[in-house]
Amino acid sequence: MLEMIKELCTLSGISGRENVVRDYIIEKIKDYAEYSIDPLGNLIVFKKGKNPAKNKVMLDAHMDEVGMMITAITSEGFLRFVKVGGIDSRVMLGRTVKVGDKGISGVVGIKPVHLVEKGQDADIPKADDLYIDIGAKSKEEAAEYIRLGDAAWFDSDFVEFGDGFIKAKALDDRAGCAILIELIRSELEYDTWFSFSVQEEIGTRGAQTSAFTIAPDYAIAVETTTAADISGVKDDKRVCICGEGGAVSFMDRRTIYSRELFDKAFEVAKERNIRCQPKTVVAGGNNAGAIHKSRGGVKTLTVSVPCRYLHSPGCVIKYSDAVESLKLIGAMAEEFAKW
Amino acid sequence: MNNYNEVSVLLEKLCSAKGVSGAENKAAQVASELLSKYMSVKIDPLGSVTGTMGEGDTHILLDAHLDQIGLIVTAVDEDGFLKVAKCGGADIRVLAAAEVTVHGKEDIFGIITSTPPHLSKPEDSNKAKGFDEIAVDIGMKREDALKIVSPGDRITFNGSFSKLLGSRVASPSIDDRAGVAAILRCLEMLEGKELNCRISVLFSVQEETGGSGAQTGAFSADADEAIAVDVSFATAPGISSEKYASLGGGTMIGFGPSLDYDMSRRLSEIAEKKNIPNQSEVMGGKTGTNCDEIQISGKGVKTALLSIPLRNMHTAVEVCDLEDIENTAKLMAEYIIERGCSDA
Repeated sequence: MLEMIKELCTLSGISGRENVVRDYIIEKIKDYAEYSIDPLGNLIVFKKGKNPAKNKVMLDAHMDEVGMMITAITSEGFLRFVKVGGIDSRVMLGRTVKVGDKGISGVVGIKPVHLVEKGQDADIPKADDLYIDIGAKSKEEAAEYIRLGDAAWFDSDFVEFGDGFIKAKALDDRAGCAILIELIRSELEYDTWFSFSVQEEIGTRGAQTSAFTIAPDYAIAVETTTAADISGVKDDKRVCICGEGGAVSFMDRRTIYSRELFDKAFEVAKERNIRCQPKTVVAGGNNAGAIHKSRGGVKTLTVSVPCRYLHSPGCVIKYSDAVESLKLIGAMAEEFAKW
Repeated sequence: MNNYNEVSVLLEKLCSAKGVSGAENKAAQVASELLSKYMSVKIDPLGSVTGTMGEGDTHILLDAHLDQIGLIVTAVDEDGFLKVAKCGGADIRVLAAAEVTVHGKEDIFGIITSTPPHLSKPEDSNKAKGFDEIAVDIGMKREDALKIVSPGDRITFNGSFSKLLGSRVASPSIDDRAGVAAILRCLEMLEGKELNCRISVLFSVQEETGGSGAQTGAFSADADEAIAVDVSFATAPGISSEKYASLGGGTMIGFGPSLDYDMSRRLSEIAEKKNIPNQSEVMGGKTGTNCDEIQISGKGVKTALLSIPLRNMHTAVEVCDLEDIENTAKLMAEYIIERGCSDA
């Protein structure tokens, strides 16, 4: 699965431009399951299990990543852009990016600190003032390579470091995609449905339609979530901790989860000796928000791989957490299918 | 179009060798290998790379600084995160989630912590965190971290050498490896020329922390004239084109009270005569470069400054135009040729 996470994170697919990621996933699963692509671009997969399921279970992971979209070219040949998804400007300044289908290299520029007025050396430029420099000398030169509406994404490699950690862009939610692919390629006990969703980062739009189409009884959103287990953050603010397994949510900004399912997850984890932890801060939101309200309502669980520096070019997870999450998600899918 | 392949390869090689102020060894090693093609090379007591060649009545010193800005480890906290301080003028606005290399007993990967959104108010995102609020995450427990990292270890910002459009490139530490590259290119251009002057080269340490390398190196060289090559500000959105240089607009010839006016003028005249693209950089006081130290070292040295326009100074995405480096080298070479011949 590690190799697959690496390959998935290297692909670029901001919200609305997930096609490259989708093509990769299809290549990986086409010999193991049936699939279709819905009007929005969601990849919907049906995997036959050894037994028919009593309940219809859907597992969801989103294909899109946060990024940028080019909105204008200035008269000097710099590119203006809009953020796609929630990105803190602070993680964009002074970064290399790739732009457009050709993957043109650029950098997000910043006025040198030497030229900033005294007392303003910690001020972050306004989002509207940010720009990408691709080295063009004029608007005309830039326009030879760039079209308005082109996607831009962080240029960030895959690194393994420290005690089993990995760093990459887009681990949110390619880690989830890798977990789903792994399940599809394995032998499943029961028939299971999967949604590789588009446009999560701009408001869980893909999952709304894929959940409608699949019409599940139970669903699991397979995600990454903020791990704030970093220097200077106290225990009760840490949300979840790298190395403690998948984080199971009881509530976030979009969903109050079924207590029954939450409790069952910990029960099953204990029985099967799988490491997992509760997500301890009510923050964030994911496709569960769209899925649980689909049609007449869907009982939904979220299991997330803890991820430091979410929505930055350098997302960090501990690989063992992805492995533990895979085990828990596989086990819970079985439980729900026969529940 | 000239693709500046030679200078590109040279700059990439120089930029990939790391050397934060006071710990320039690796950069010094690469620079001295490159310089030894032209002259015999010594490392001085502070670590600067020096060399000299030729003879004549005039002795010209060429200086560029070897060090780059970075961070320095001050402590390892209880969770294994590294507490750090600036080493040179690092820009705190580009630190959140920045990827770094910690130069401990071995080089290891690290990433600077960034506060997750649930712990910050929306208005917080307008301010960069100070050093007391950030740390470097190396993915290790304290006991494992201590086996590799010690206080005092230097940290560099990761970033690839990226080719942008045309002859523009982005990389960390172009400040001032571009200057080192310009001097090496100048020496290459001078090869085979009969010169009646002595040329010394100083790739100086510790410019970013106050210029100790230039002060001591210039004293030892004891030259009559010096040209320092550094980088300076190029325009970009929000940066006035009246006050700052145009990227790709040519080498910047410095004018200011602390710079030798005759040298500045002569550089200008030669540039015009030889059709070398150039622009003027006028400073009202000191220059903020090694010139400030070189000028008053020993009995005093007539000093000139050539600057290579740079964007995003002191970040991991410093952008320069290779054409400007090449033109800086050309102008220095023509200056030396003229000085050498006029003394003959």
